[in-house]
Order: sequence, then C-alpha cells, then structure tokens
Amino acid sequence: MARAPKAGNEKEQGKKYSRRHFVAGGGVVLAGGALSSYAAPTAAAAPAKASDYPQSTAYLVYDSRQCAGCQSCMLACSLVHEGEASLSLSRIQVTRSVLTRYPYDIQIAVCRQCPEPLCVANCPTGACHIDIANGNVRRTDESRCIGCQTCLESCPFTPHRTVWKPDASKATKCDLCTDAPYFSKPGGPSGQQACVVTCPMGALKVVHELPSQTDIGGYDVNLAPPPPPPGQFGFPGAKPKGSAKSAPEKL
Amino acid sequence: MTTPGYAGKILKVDLTGKKVESIDTSKYEAFGGGYGMGVALFWDLCVAPGGWDLQDPFDPRNIVSLMTGPLAGTGLPYTGRTNVSGLSPQAWPICWFSRSNFGGSFSATLKMAGWDGVVVQGKAESPIYINIADDRVTLEDAQSLWGLNTWETQEEIYKTYSSKNHGRYGSEWQKIGDNYTTMLPSIVTIGMAGENKTRIGSLIHGGGSGAGQGGFGSVFGSKNLKAIAVIGTGSVKVADARAVRDAREWYSTKFPGRASSTGSAACTGCNRACRKRDATLGKDSDGCTESIWYNLPSPPFERTSTRDRSRAADIAQKYGINAFDICFGGPMAFPSPPDHPIQPAVPAHTGSGWYFKQLYDMGIIGPGKEIDTAPLPMEMYDQVEFAEAYATAICKRVGIGDLLAEGVARFAEAVGRISDMDTILRCPAWGFVDHWTMPSVEWAYGNLMDSRDINNHDMSLNSRTMTCEEVVKTAASGTLPCEGDAFMFDYSWQGEQAFETGVYSRHKAEFVAWRQHYATFYKESMLLCDWAFANLMSMASPDGKGATPETEPLFLKAVTGKDFKFADGIETGRKIWNLKRAIFSLQGRHRDMEKFAGFMCRPGASKAALGGRLPVYDGTKWEFQDCTDMYLDEQGVEHWKTAFYDVEGWDNMTGYPKRKTLEDLGLKHVADLLQARNKLGSG
Repeated sequence: MARAPKAGNEKEQGKKYSRRHFVAGGGVVLAGGALSSYAAPTAAAAPAKASDYPQSTAYLVYDSRQCAGCQSCMLACSLVHEGEASLSLSRIQVTRSVLTRYPYDIQIAVCRQCPEPLCVANCPTGACHIDIANGNVRRTDESRCIGCQTCLESCPFTPHRTVWKPDASKATKCDLCTDAPYFSKPGGPSGQQACVVTCPMGALKVVHELPSQTDIGGYDVNLAPPPPPPGQFGFPGAKPKGSAKSAPEKL
Repeated sequence: MTTPGYAGKILKVDLTGKKVESIDTSKYEAFGGGYGMGVALFWDLCVAPGGWDLQDPFDPRNIVSLMTGPLAGTGLPYTGRTNVSGLSPQAWPICWFSRSNFGGSFSATLKMAGWDGVVVQGKAESPIYINIADDRVTLEDAQSLWGLNTWETQEEIYKTYSSKNHGRYGSEWQKIGDNYTTMLPSIVTIGMAGENKTRIGSLIHGGGSGAGQGGFGSVFGSKNLKAIAVIGTGSVKVADARAVRDAREWYSTKFPGRASSTGSAACTGCNRACRKRDATLGKDSDGCTESIWYNLPSPPFERTSTRDRSRAADIAQKYGINAFDICFGGPMAFPSPPDHPIQPAVPAHTGSGWYFKQLYDMGIIGPGKEIDTAPLPMEMYDQVEFAEAYATAICKRVGIGDLLAEGVARFAEAVGRISDMDTILRCPAWGFVDHWTMPSVEWAYGNLMDSRDINNHDMSLNSRTMTCEEVVKTAASGTLPCEGDAFMFDYSWQGEQAFETGVYSRHKAEFVAWRQHYATFYKESMLLCDWAFANLMSMASPDGKGATPETEPLFLKAVTGKDFKFADGIETGRKIWNLKRAIFSLQGRHRDMEKFAGFMCRPGASKAALGGRLPVYDGTKWEFQDCTDMYLDEQGVEHWKTAFYDVEGWDNMTGYPKRKTLEDLGLKHVADLLQARNKLGSG
C-alpha cells in the first residue's frame, strides 16, 4: 500500500547522523584503545570501520497508522524488564498527541538496532555492546554502565532510543527481550518480544532483514491486516462466518 | 507499606484556602478505589462535618473526586478509566450524590505521577487549573483559558510543556524533576457548558474521552476550576509483574477483542480500541453517545450522515456538554404500536433535542408563544448547523437555551409538562434519558435504586448454540456468591409467574442486588470498563462462560499480591453501596420517591429495545421470547421493592438502611449518624 509521507524529521535525522557519525569514529578509537579491558565477554570488539559491525539478526518494525495509542507495549516492556509498569522506563516510546489529526497524532520510537550503532561505538566502558551470543542485538550491560549518558547523546534519533533509569542512574535500551526477567516466554532476536505479543492491533512485528534506514517504509511499515472477505460485511446473500462476530453492540 | 497497585497518596486540593494536601491512600483502601473511595471521601469531607443539607451541588462544600483504582496503569486491559463523583447537578428532582467516569490516559498518568486520585473542595476566587507534575502540584491561573473550548484549553496547557520541542509534541524527552518523559500531560477540562453552570456540563479529556452523566463539568465550573493537568514519570508498582503480563495475555487469548481496524484509538492498556483516531472530522472521537446525539430518528427524518454526526460530535466535545441529555433521538427508531403516544417510531434516546421538537410540533412552544424557541432557527432543525445553534444556546444560556441548560427533566418541569414522563419523555428515573433500559429490568431497577442511568452493558445473554435453559444456567454459575439461581435471569413479566420467578420476584431482587454490588466494586471502583469488560456469557469461549467471575480476582491478585476472592469484591461493593444509600437517605431518599416515570408502566415501555429476546420461564420450561412488549405493573414494582429492601437489609417502609446491615459492614459510625438525623431504618 503506498503511503503519503508523514510529517517527520528524517531530513534532520540524516543530518545529525552524518555529523555524529564523524564524532563516532573518534569514539571507536577511544573504546578500542584505552578502555578495551571493560569490554563484555560476548561483545564484539569495536571494528575499525563502522560497516564491519555484525548486523543484528532481528529488527522491531511498527505501523504508526495501525497503532491505537493504548501504550500496552510500553507497559509490557517496563513490566518484563523492570518489574513495574512505567511509561518513562519503556524502551519503546509511543507518543500520542490526541488533538493532532490522524495519522500525525502518533509517533513511535523504537530502537533501530542500527547497522552502525553509535551507542555502542561511543560507550566508554563497553556497557553498550553487541551481543554475539544473542543474534548481535545491541544491548546495555547495566553492571558496566557508569551513567555517563554518552549513549543518550549519541543516539542520532529523536527522541533518543536509549532510555535513562533515574533511580539507578544508568542507561538501558531495547534488547528485543533478550534479558527480560519478568517475561515468561523465551525472548531475544530469535524469540518473542513482550511488546509484539502484547500489541492488540498487530502494529508491531519483528523482521530479520535489515530494514531500509528510514522511518517511513523502513521501520514504519504497513502491518494492517487484509480486509475481511465480503461475506463478513453482511452483504445480501452472504452467510455468517465463524463465531467471533456477535450481535450488534449496544452503545 | 503501600499495597502494590496503589500509588499511596490521594491529592486533596482546597480551592478556597489554596491548600494542597496529601491523604494516605491506605486510609481508604478498604473501599477499593474509584467510586468506593469517592463515596468514602464524600462521607468524611461533606457528610461527617455536618451543618449542610447536602442539596446544592454548586455549594463550595461539595467535593468532586477523580479517583483511579489499583489496576490503572498496569497494562491490564480495560482498566483505563477514572471515576468522578460528588453531588450531581443533573440528577432530578434532588441533586443526588452520583458518579460518572471517563477513559483515556488520565488514570494511568495520575498513578505514574504518584497519586491514586484527586479530590477538590471549595471554590477558587478566580479561574485556576491544577497542574500536577509528579509530586509537584501547583494551582495555575486559568483566566486566559476561561472561555476556550476543551480542545483549545488542552493545546494551551500543552504549550507550557512543549516549548522546547518546536511544536512537535512529545517528540523529545522532557525533564520533569529528575525524571524524563516523552508524554504530553493528560488533561481533563471543561468547556462553555461547565463554565456557565448548566446542569449538563461534562468533563472532557483528550479529544473525546468524557464524563458526561451527572454534570460534573458544571461542578468544576462552580468551583472556578477549568482543568486538571497531570504528567507522571514514575511507575505503578505491582506485586508480580510476570503474572500481570501473563494475565493480560491469558485474557486476550481467551476473549479476543475486536481491535483490528486501522485508525482505532484506545485508552491506556485497552485491547479493544473502541474509539477512532481517524474519524471523519473528529479527533480522538468515539462511537458512543456524542457521535449520535445529533442523529435524527429515522423515520420520520432522513438518515443523518456520518459527516453531520461527526461534526455534531466535535461540538459536544468542544463545548463540554452532556450529549445524552441533549440527544435528538439517537441511532435508531423503533416502529411504534398504533395507539402509542409517539408516532411513527419510538427513538432510542429521547433527549431534549428530540423532546423540545415534539413540544414545538404540538404548538406548545414556538416563536411568539409564552415559551419562545428563540434564538433557535426551527426551520433548520434537520441541518447540522442547528445542532451547533442548539448547543450554543444551551451553553450560553440564551433564550430557550436557558431552560434547556437545566437538563431535560427540569426543562419539562419549567414548561409545566412533567406529566410527559408518563408518555413521550422517556426518562425512567431521576431525569436521566432512557438508554437501553427495558426490557432488561435489572437495568431499570438499577437506575431506580441508584441515582443515574447505570450503564448495564455486557450483561447480555448471548449464545448461538445453547438452549435457553443452558444459557441461564451458565449465566447463573457466575454470580458468586449467590450462584446457581437461574431464576435471576427469568424475564417473565405477565401473570403469577412474574411474581414467583420473574421480574417482580425475589430472584430478580437478588439479581439486581448482586449486579449493583458487582458494578459498584468491579466496574466503578476497580474501573473495569463497563462497555468492554464484564460479562457472564461470551460467545468467544467454548463453554459459553464469560470473563466473570474468573478474571477479576486473577487481575487483582497479580497486581496487589493479595489472595483476593471474587466474593470479597461483591462484599466490598455491598459496603460502598450501603454507604451511598446512607448518603441518599440523608439527602431525602425515601421508599415513596423510588418510583419509575409513568411511561415505564404503560404499553410501549420496551419499544426502544436493542436485543429484546430474553429468557422466560413459564412454570415448566425455559424459552427465549421477544420481550419488547414488556411494561411494568406498579403493584409488581412495589412487590419487587419490598423483596429488594429485604435482600439489602433496608427498612421496608422507608428504604433507610438498618443498623445491623451497616454494622455488619463495619459502618457503625454511619448508623450512629443516621440515627442522630432520624434516617436509620428500624428493625
């Protein structure tokens, strides 16, 4: 389905990206040199060239038109990771301005699992790392986080996808539920994600190909279910199908 | 220690003294949350101090409380509502203590800001709004907001938060204290109808979440309170996060919602998404009353277009007016019998928009008459521009709008036509317009024993495959702790059977009592959405059993960690219900007043029925029958009332609660006060 472009700040994002990309190069050198002893065992060594980063095997994509703004994904995210329901601690941010006209009312911010992750590149301690054992998902090892907020600054997107935990003074980010202590399903890039299984609208999905690095058409994609077959509309002569359809709802 | 699920504090704002205080939630936890806490707060802040007759809702001593429950903001489905309560300006003839509630994101946000609710008393000298940013609460000047519509007001308040975002709302993390959020504040506000103290001002949150019934927007207006804005960056603590998320998934799998259509909108945590993001003209509008208030009954009118209905919906939202009271007939009309006073068809909801046109057509009101219809352009009645003129006249109290602003019941009184309630003006009890009240008599009886239209959704007995007997037995298996009585669902209304097992029987009294206790706790105090949640039957589950009574304790246990039994909630509901009954008694409620409007006892009472096929027991067998001919018998209703008061432990002569009933519920102090004021039931 073709989509009209949404008002967005992609142009601005692109600009930021290239500016910070340049800054990131210095960070990589720093991380690889002075602080390499902090690197997590499973983390890939920071490569000399950004394109040498191992690619994540899974990416969270969304449909901002299909989303109903119920924030269930956000609450599920913080429940399974932090054990409490919070919008501020959620690693997916769904921002809804209810008085703005559809489809511009909802913006969804997910971690892109960037091919060239600046949060990883710039982290001075290796807390932000690529988890080789878990599908190369970009993760934060909170035990190594010193709360310097470099990853928050480094994220090229608005709002930044890395999340600040004020009580712990540490940063965290989407790990595709690799480490979700309160999730009763196997998570991670090859498993399930709390936000995806909780979304009642089917507006979230995990794909395994690297999306085009844009919002529209890249991460913000059409996930709307196909329209029901004509019979379900109750056209003359159509037989009722299935048991899910019920009598007219009282309003 | 605060019980998980609760934020731990209730915000109390005294507008007269400009004081902001915090009340420990634990003091009110025995009342659950929501309405329960609202009733208990009203007792403590308005009744117990004495010296007030509890009649005038615009008296600064009246409170308006906006309360959440322990489930709000946890991500469990259907828990996104906020209860509002206080003396209701709309209730007639006495402004009963009443309630309303609204959805959206307000309750979750309030909890995350660290508050279980807000209770407001007093009156500000000049317009203000309450601004809550986590634990920082300020009273802000709202003189520049007074006169703005509800959407403009929210946009203006947004600006105080989003200046750094270059107008891209919420697109960057904002620092609130030491925490961050990308969210905009959740705001509940009033429009013209509330500011000008009509009796039908509603509270509007977002584009279309509203608390209409009761007129609590007008109570805001009487207090010079324009809005409450809240932004919350904290979290809702739960006893078992894994169980909470699993409970949601279990529920959603077992009772799949209907959420699928692109462009739907939902309250926080909801998986049903009944509202729309992409309404024709509206923003964040929904499919409920405000979207059909300007829907001319067809016949006799042409079908009103979606575009016109949406335009009218926006007007109701922006002006903050209770769309039910001003309804022009509603979504459909039902052919009337030949001798029926309404011809050719009985509209679903006979609000003032429909009723005043009847008076106009009968020549009772009109240009140049004693009661003039000016400034309304009557020749444009079937054009949507009329809806705007109508709402404006009411909100500004211009011309006939001044009478209509009093609500449809007081309007009828003002034009000397209160007897129309025997025929064409269909307000079953307390002046609230007929919803889908009959022939579901528990809805009608609930209205009569409560103080508003009770909204008895989702008690429907639907099945495609079961026999009638199987249906009633399945439904009756869920009404813990008085389960197993299938006659609770008998709708036989004629002859002796009606008194033995049907609509006038003790079985029906037991059912209404159960239903009221259920709703008072689970729907109104735990704030499970009335429209989406509670049901005894579900066509989605293989055995036909609905979510009730399995789901409620599962949710509550996961959140609070307490070993919660379904029947505990029914008992707490009974306690709240009785405390409310005590407030009614002090306000002047008496058995003699609890009478339906005359039309309920005449043929045609059930004509505006959606789903009129109900289980009927004829003495030997069960059968689904079309009950749309049902009307009530006055003697029968009195017979039912006697049984009902007996079930509740209320005095048969007066309807006042008895001492033993109250003491058994831990309400001895209430019994003492009633006795001192001569309102305690005897026996």
